[in-house]
Formats: sequence, C-alpha cells, structure tokens
Amino acid sequence: MDEYDELFEIQDDFEDQFADELEAMADMEEESFKPGKRQKQGPGGDISDIEHLLDDQPITPKAKRQKQDAGVAKQLFKSLQTQESKAPSQSDEISPPSSPEQYQPPDTFRSTPAVLDISGFATIPETPRRPPTAASASWHVLRRPPLEGEYVSVTDSSGSRVYLKQTEDAGSKVVDLRLVPNSHGSLGLLSVPIDVLRDQQAERRHQQVVEESQRLADLLASSVNDVPVQPESREDEENDSPEDPEGQASRLWVDRYSPRHYTELLSDDFTNRCLLKWLKLWDTVVFGRERKSRPARFDRQAPNQNSFKPNQANQNPNRFKSKIEVTEELLEAELDQYKRPKYKVALLSGPPGLGKTTLAHVIAKHAGYNVVEINASDDRSAEVFQKRINTATQMKSVLGANERPNCLIIDEIDGAPAAAINILLATLNRKEGHGGDAGTETAKKKKKKESILLRPIICICNDLYVPALRPLRQQAFLLVFPQTQPSRLAQRLAEISLQQGMKTDTGTLISLCEKTDNDIRSCINTLQFLHRRGHKQLSTKTIQCISVGQKDQNKGLFHLWQQIFQLQRTKRKRIGEEFDEAPGSGGGAQRFQHILHLASSSGEYEKVSQGLYDNYLSMRVRDPNLQSVCEALDWLSFSDRLNHVIMHGQNFTLMRYLPFLSVTFHFLFAHTHVPRISYPHSQHEASTRLLSSRNALATMLADIPACIRTRISQLSLSLDMLTLLLDIICPKLRPVNPQLFSSREKEQMCELINTMLAYNLSYRQDRTPEGQYTYVLEPRVEEVVRFPGLPPRRQLTYQAKQTISREMEQEKMRRAEQLMLQRNPVVHKEDEKKRAGPKPVRNHQQRLENIVKQTTVETRPEVDFFGRAVAPKPQRLQTTSETGEMCEVVSMGTAVGNSDVWFRFNEGMSNAVRRNVCIRELL
Amino acid sequence: MSLWVDKYRPTSLAKLDYHKEQATQLKNLVQCGDFPHLLVYGPSGAGKKTRIMCLLRELYGAGVEKLRIEHQTIVAPSKKKIEINTIASNYHLEVNPSDAGNQDRVVIQELIKTLAQSQQIQSSSQREFKVVLLTEVDRLTKDAQHALRRTMEKYMYTCRLILCSTSTSKVIGPIRSRCLAIRVPLPSTEEVCNVLTSICKKEGLLLPPELAKLISEKSGRNLRKALLMCEACRVQQYPFSSDQDVPETDWEVYLRETANAIVSQQSPQRLLEVRARLYELLTHCIPPDVIMKSLVTELLSNCDGQLKTEVAQMAAYYEHRLQLGSKAIYHLEAFTAKFMAIYKKFMEDGLDDMMF
Repeated sequence: MDEYDELFEIQDDFEDQFADELEAMADMEEESFKPGKRQKQGPGGDISDIEHLLDDQPITPKAKRQKQDAGVAKQLFKSLQTQESKAPSQSDEISPPSSPEQYQPPDTFRSTPAVLDISGFATIPETPRRPPTAASASWHVLRRPPLEGEYVSVTDSSGSRVYLKQTEDAGSKVVDLRLVPNSHGSLGLLSVPIDVLRDQQAERRHQQVVEESQRLADLLASSVNDVPVQPESREDEENDSPEDPEGQASRLWVDRYSPRHYTELLSDDFTNRCLLKWLKLWDTVVFGRERKSRPARFDRQAPNQNSFKPNQANQNPNRFKSKIEVTEELLEAELDQYKRPKYKVALLSGPPGLGKTTLAHVIAKHAGYNVVEINASDDRSAEVFQKRINTATQMKSVLGANERPNCLIIDEIDGAPAAAINILLATLNRKEGHGGDAGTETAKKKKKKESILLRPIICICNDLYVPALRPLRQQAFLLVFPQTQPSRLAQRLAEISLQQGMKTDTGTLISLCEKTDNDIRSCINTLQFLHRRGHKQLSTKTIQCISVGQKDQNKGLFHLWQQIFQLQRTKRKRIGEEFDEAPGSGGGAQRFQHILHLASSSGEYEKVSQGLYDNYLSMRVRDPNLQSVCEALDWLSFSDRLNHVIMHGQNFTLMRYLPFLSVTFHFLFAHTHVPRISYPHSQHEASTRLLSSRNALATMLADIPACIRTRISQLSLSLDMLTLLLDIICPKLRPVNPQLFSSREKEQMCELINTMLAYNLSYRQDRTPEGQYTYVLEPRVEEVVRFPGLPPRRQLTYQAKQTISREMEQEKMRRAEQLMLQRNPVVHKEDEKKRAGPKPVRNHQQRLENIVKQTTVETRPEVDFFGRAVAPKPQRLQTTSETGEMCEVVSMGTAVGNSDVWFRFNEGMSNAVRRNVCIRELL
Repeated sequence: MSLWVDKYRPTSLAKLDYHKEQATQLKNLVQCGDFPHLLVYGPSGAGKKTRIMCLLRELYGAGVEKLRIEHQTIVAPSKKKIEINTIASNYHLEVNPSDAGNQDRVVIQELIKTLAQSQQIQSSSQREFKVVLLTEVDRLTKDAQHALRRTMEKYMYTCRLILCSTSTSKVIGPIRSRCLAIRVPLPSTEEVCNVLTSICKKEGLLLPPELAKLISEKSGRNLRKALLMCEACRVQQYPFSSDQDVPETDWEVYLRETANAIVSQQSPQRLLEVRARLYELLTHCIPPDVIMKSLVTELLSNCDGQLKTEVAQMAAYYEHRLQLGSKAIYHLEAFTAKFMAIYKKFMEDGLDDMMF
C-alpha cells in the first residue's frame, strides 16, 4: 500500500498514468456490456441510471478524464456504501480507499457500480464550462470551499478546481445535478433522450427480474441442496454453459477461473500497469498508431500548483527516486530510431503461482496481439530457438481470421540454455544494415527487408539471477512480481467456492493463502481437491490438517536452522477465531508438525544435521546436567547409524526417519532469542585435513624399501613410530664441517643418514615468504604427528640440516653407483678388458678426425681482395702430401690423442676440459 | 636399516626372544608338512609380523627375504581402476587389501586367484604351495571376507593364507573356523627389558635397568615403541641416567590433556572445546576406536571405584555405536557428554553427602 501513497505525489498525472488502463477498461465495458448484467440497485436506482447513461456514451477521452482526490474517493465510498447495502459487501475486503487500486477492483462485474459512479462524478467538472448549466449549477458548484457543510473538491482537465457542496442525501443531490441539463433538453449530450433510456432500462430491469424469478423457480423445482448460486456469477455461467457438467467437473479450476480480462487479474496492479504500458509503447511500430502526445512535464505541473495535494513530499526536488518512479521513467523514455521502446524485452520474474504467465497472456491479448508461446516443454536448442524467434517476430498468420501481429512470450526462460539466450540477445541487438543516416521514410522501407526486431517479446522466469540470464537482465525491462495480496486472493477464492457451492469463511481462505504462500494456483488446486473429496464445508481445521496445499517450499538451510533453534513468538492475527497462531508457535504438536514439514521438505538431511551439530552447543540452553546435550547426541548418533544403514544397504525407505532429528533439536534447544547460526564447516575441514595427512603418510610409505615396508603400515606409523622417529633423526651435532667429526660422530651421522634414507625422509630447501631459507622435512609428516599446544620438539639448526642434506645427496649418489655396479659388473669388466687390449679409437678422437677431414676438404684456393687467385704457399703442399693416418695425427696434435684429458676449443666454458670420473673417487 | 627396530629384528624362529614355546610349535608345524591357513592376531608391537616372516623363512629358506614392491592395477567390474602395492618374494605375496578401501573384495578375488592358479615350477624341491599374507584383516569389509571363504577352500592345494590382524572380533566366523588361530601376546615387562638391555649391549651402550623398566612401562609393552623410545632416549642424551624423561608420542600427550579437560569442567562450552580436540586427533590419522579406548583409560584413572563400572559400560555402548556408524565424531562426543553428565552427577551427589 505504501507504494500507492507515494504514487499520490504524482497523482495529478493520473490521466497519463492510467490512460492505458482506463482505455482497457473502457474497451471492456463496451464489449461486455449486456442487458441483464446490471445489478439490481434498489434505492440507488437513480444512480444506475447515470451509469447507464455513461455506458451508452461513446468512449471519448473526456469520459476517461478523471481527476480524483483521496478525499473524494473516501467520501464517495462512504456514500456508496450506505446505498449499496444490498450489494455484496466487498468494500471491507478491498484495500484502503487511499489507493487508486480500488478504482478497478478485482472483479469488474461485481463492482462496476462503484467504478461507474466514480466516473459519473468525474464528468461533473464539465458542467460548469457550459454557460447554461453554470448558472443553475452554481448553487452546488462553488469556486471556493463553502463555509459550512461538507464538500467535495474536484479538479478538471484544465486544472481549475471547484468545490461541490454536499448535502445529506449526496446521491440524490448529485443525481439532480446531473439531471438539470437534461430537463432543459437543449444540450443534446446524449444521442438518445434520457427518458427513452430510462424506459429502456426499466424494461430491461423488468426482464431481468422475470428471468431471475424464472431461474429461482427452476432451482426450487430441482431442489438442489447446494447453496443457491448467486446471481453475480452469470459471467462464468455464460461462459461455461455450453459445456456439459462432466466437462466442467473434470476441468481444472485453475483454467476455468483463470482471468480473461485485464481487470480480473489478481497480480499487483502496478506491475500489471507497467507491463501494459510497456506493451503499448510498441503500438507505434507494430500498429503504426501514433503515440498519444503527452504534455510536457511543466505543462502538467503548472495547473496543479494550486491543487490540493495529499502528500507534499513531491515539493522536495532533490529527493531520491523511489523504485516506482524509476520504473515510470523507464517507461517514459523516448523511442529509439525505429520507434521501438528502449527495452525490447520485458522480463517478468517471481516465485511460481503469482500469475506471471497469465498476466503476459492477458495483456498481450488485450493489447491486440496474437500470443506465441515458447516454454520449457519446447525444444530450446540454439537452432530451433532461432527459427522460432524468427517465425514469431517476422511473420504473421495469413490464414484464418487471426490477423493480429504476434507477441512472443518465452516462458520459463531461466531453464533455457545459454546459447538460446545469446540468440535472443543477438535478435534484440540486430541493427539495420546501413540505413542509419537515411531518412525515416527510407528507413521504414528498409525495415521490411532487414530483419530487425519489430515485435514485443515477454520473457518469464522464476529465478532472475540464473547465470545464463545475466546478459539479458541488462537489456530487459525488469518487472519483479510482488506477493499477491492475501485479501484479494481470498476474495477470489471466496467467489470460486461460492460458485462451486462450498461453504467457507474468509478466515479459512486466508489461512489457506498463508499455507500456500499466496500461490494462486496452489490455492485453487487445493480448493478443487477438497471439493472433489466431498468437503462441502470448509473450515480452518480442514485447511490445517490437509497436507496437499503445501508447496515444496525451497527455503534456505539457514532459514531451517533458524526455525529449529528459535521459538516463534505467538502472534494473533486480525481475523479468525480458533487457531490463528503463526506456524511454529503454539502447541507442541503444531510445532512438531511445522518443523517436521520444514525439515522433510528441505531434503538435505546431511547438511541439516551437520548444521545442527555445529551449532547446538552455542545455543543458550540452560542445561546444567547436560541431559539435553546427551539426548541430542544420542539422536545424532542414531541418525548417523541410520545413514550408514541407508547408504550401505541402499535402504532408502529409512530416509523418512531422518527429519525427526530436527524436531528433537527444536524441542531440546529452541529459544526465543534469535540464534546466531554459522555455516557448518567443521566436518568438511576435518575430512580435508585427514586426507592431506593420509596423503603425506602414503607418499612416505611409497618409497620405503620393501624390507622395511613390510614391517610398517600407515597405522603403526601414525600411532607408534613417527613421533619417535622424528626425535631420532634430530641428534645433537657439532656445528662444524663433517670432515672434522670424530669417528664416533661420523658413525652417528652415517646412521642418521641411513635411517632417513630408509624411511624416505629428506630435507628440502625452501624459502619462506619473508625471504629466509629453511630446510623442511619432505614428505611433510611433521604436520601429521605434531599437535598444537604441546611443547615444541627439538629442532635441528639450519646448518645441521644443510649438512645432513648434503651428506644425504652424496650417499644417494654413492648408492646409485653401487647399484649400477652391482647390476652390470660383467659389462664393466669387459670394458676394462677392451681398454687393456687393442686400444679402441676414442670418441673424441673420432670426432676430431671428422672435423679435421671437413676442414681439409673445404680448403679453397685463396683469393685476394680483388678476387685474384693467390699462389699457394709451399708449406701447405708439404702437409697434404703425407699419408692419411699420419696426416690426421699431425692435424690433431699428438698431445691430444694420447692423453685422458682433452681440450676442445669453442664448446663452452665449463665442459671444455673433460675427464671420466667415478662418484666413488670424488666422495 | 639403521633403526634398532630394523637392525636387531630376529629373522628366524630360533632367534626369537620371547614366546619361545610358541616358536618351537611353529617350527614343528612347518616340519610336519601339513601347513594350514593361519590367523595371527595380537596387539600391535607384539611381534606378529616378525613371527610370520620367521615362519616363512622356515618354510622357504632365505629366498623369502628378497622382497620387491610391485604396483598392481586391478580393474573392478565397474571399470574402475584400483592401484595397490604388494610386497612379494618368489614364494609369497603380501597385500594390505584395506588400502583399496571399499573395493577390497575385488583385490582379494583377483590377486589371490591369479596367484593361486599358477603352480610352483619346481615342486619337487620346493613346497607345493605359495603363501598369501593378508595384513589388517580386521579392516576388511564383510564382502571381502565372504569372498575369501570359498577361495580359501578351493585353492588350498596351491596356496595358503596367513591372515594378520589385531583382533579376531571383526573377522567373520567362517574364516576363523578355516584358520589355525595363533595369538601373539605382548611381551611381559621383563621380556621387554631383556630385549632392550641386550640390544643396548650390542650397540655398546649401558642401559640402567630402571630406565629399561620405565621405557617398557611407558611403551605399554609395545616392543616396537619401546625400542624406538630407547633409541630416542639415546639420541636425547647418551650417558643414560635412570630418571631420564622418556619421549612419548604426541597424540597420547594430547589425549591425556583432553581427558584432564573433561574431568576438570563439565559444561557445553567445555564440550565444544573437547570437540575441537577430538577433531584434531581424528585428523592426525588416529583411528576413532583407538581414541575411544585411550580416552576411557585416561578417564578411568580419574574416576572413583563406583563410577568405573558405569563409565566402562557407557564406553562399551558408545564404542559399539561407533563401529556401527560412520561419523566418529558424533559418537566420541556423545561418550564425552555422557561421561560429563555421569561425572557431574556423581560429584554433586558426593558434595551433598558431605554437606549432610
């Protein structure tokens, strides 16, 4: 409701704001006006005359020009209430009169009188403009507020304000006022004289009465034990009459009572209006209709300056814009170059059962479109989607009477693949090839050829924040559905149950609404279910007992935990007699059921129980004897065993016992304080740490030689050995060079290194974030055995570790060589034999030979600077004349060929001098 | 091979230091030629594995000691690959099936079948059977144990099983009845002291008898631990003194502190602290049943005579739950809470009695 109060700041834009809507209503009245539809009015009959008059008037803009103040509304309403004593008393159900909402109540046909009465008043300002009437009307229409008595202020379209004096019998007075011009007969406002109209009306009423009595007689004759169907339900009966009763019975009520007209919509009015406005923005491009020129902003404001404003907040210019204003502004935004609205797509979002799909369909139909729907049941792969979008937006049905342009509704878009959404975006952003700078005329022609989007698209989703929708969110006109108002929903439910002959009361229906979280679909389905079961009498108790109407609420885990740990304060509600306590409070049985339902619908028992386990000890429980803690833990261990059995035996029928854990915790630990609940990390943390320590042990075990490996297992390592082993490998070492160790120390060192090698431990140099170097034990078993809070064990110094590490490396090399020697001792001997025997050509010699040969071959005749051949020197001839082997030896030099050490020029620095060395000679 | 535990491990039945009678019995068993399946059980550190290796050496000679590690990959029927390390000689195969976790059944079926189906080549000079040594049998799943039943009978001719476990309670009846059960009890304090002294003598060290006794008590007669402790003492300080403090394993110290925390205060807040400590123990690869057992031992030492029976009973109850469930921390905490409740009540009653 608050939004509407705010809305009054711009209430003088009423005309603009509601233009579309009013037009809609006007259209509807035109089409749905039927004789016999009017309700009997009893004493207020004269008013209905005026309605009638107005109805018959062609819909002119003037008829729609309404300027109303809250005061008018209130008083009108009061006066109408007194008159409409016979009419169904919807008025107390209808939301407070300060909102424009009440001008189009949920059911037009029920409350048309109210609407029309108002419009009747609204035409009053026209009268003072006409000179003949002005004189006579001036008695009642005043330029300034009267000194005594009640009055009604009225502002007309030109902004001038007049005040109507109110007498006791406001209704009749007003009527008199209206009748004045007619009695003069000179005005010709109506195409048919009022007398004729009156006669017609009387006749019609007479007919209606006859019909009514006929029907009642029939009813009595058939002696139906049902509650007599109220005369207001003609509309539906007319709709449904062709169908046979079985068809009616088998049809879902949701379909049967789904809104067919804009005014029947149950969803939030603001949302409805916004969507309608948005859709109307397309009129220019789709229907070629010019957009109604709207007066500039200052134009609108100027005449209103002296007008009475119920809410003065608007005068504060630098105020933050409310959400509604922002939305309004979005709709006011200028059209783009193709006369399309800025946002090409409307994206409706909200929980299920609020009537999103219905709204889209109704509005599209109402705005004159042919609805094409794509939903999750269709194939939404990229190609198919593309094809369907193109079909829907660029083509038009030629066959049949349905020649209206298409409006594409993409339902359940949050489930569509990202590819499909990208295609949709591409369609939106498709630019005209090259017609940007050309004149509008040519551009229009090109539009026919180029395939830019020219039809509105409405997307519907439940979850606005699905990752795939992110790009679309930025380009779409977002409309978030608020909750349906329970009062309106209950009212509609009451109508339905009345028509179906179920006896209910408002309290019951409201409790039903509450149970289903104001889900319209779910409510109606529940009603039908109960009806079919034979419940003709509905009471709150039945509603409370049944479990059908409940949605599988997908509340968050935190909500569940909070519900478990918190006692609801008992809160009474407005209406209702017996129950009326919030779920979760009240008697034990009720709390039990509530928590059980919540827990079983969440489904994540594992997470839930972990959360309970992690949090229950921090709850404020007075438990000096630890009784409830013990009980809770017994339950936890029970559920753990249950889980074990379920998982190992695949015995999933036992799952039904899992949610009782939550109930127990609720009864043990619930408190009225708001619990501080943290997300349960402990188990996950523990399991990761356990895994990492297991891995450390496994890496350690993996490379331990077999003879030791066979004696130890992970278990014995962690339980018995590791701590002591780590002590053992930290002997006291003198901080000197290992060369200077005494023999005893050398032995000790040797043992240490043996042990470390045997158990696959080593030191690795590491750099701390501070830049210091440290040696860490690898694999990291230290973390496995060390516990926090215990006195630290002795650590070796950096130098000692460095020494050990170096010694270990040497030992490793030594061992590797030994192993090599052991493995192929025969080969080695042969090698030596070879060496002893005829000396084989050495590797380096072979290479040198090659190099020398190459160089010798490549000698070219020497050429001097000018290209003339130079006579070769005599020495050169001398060398080449030698025999092959001698020549090579000479070219290599004798020193190279005969020694173990050789030198090669130009092959790098470090390995220029080479020699074969065994590790054992070095260490 | 430089830890004393490894260096001075006896390699033949004749050299075993204690339970000599059992050693001769085993020797006779080998000599009589009708070698059955064996189930060797006893607490850790009692020398089960040593005894088994000695037995194998008695059976096959020194060739058993040439061990190699083999990495085997087994494909489960679900196409899942299981990798497992086995230690094998030419005559036997050692597997720890619990390394494979839930898939241990597949390991047992595949490995034993492949081994058992191949016959020894030179059966005239050798034994006609090979030996499969399964360790940590008490951690086998029931499925795997059932898979073992038929295999044990079917391949009796070519293959003998030696099962090694810490307790028989988790070995199913059919398997127990197919095996000759051999219990290897812990050595007595004197035996541990003797072993320690003789090893120190071999190392050229002098071990005071008081220290030997202290070590054997602290180690809980677990010989492996005793030897490691002794060596750690040696590293810590060589000329041994009789009142030297013997290094202990960290987790035991931690657990003792936890027990003290439980006894000193009983409240939900304390329970929360204890929970954190229990988690710490669990994440350091200490099995929950070991935690439970040691915790009870520590707590009982703080209890009065009347309370002891009650606490022991509760411990048994929760230990059973622990075995049935899968989340150890719940059961450990449940036991702690129950102990707190009992203990608190007992103390308050005692206080009331004192008042009146």
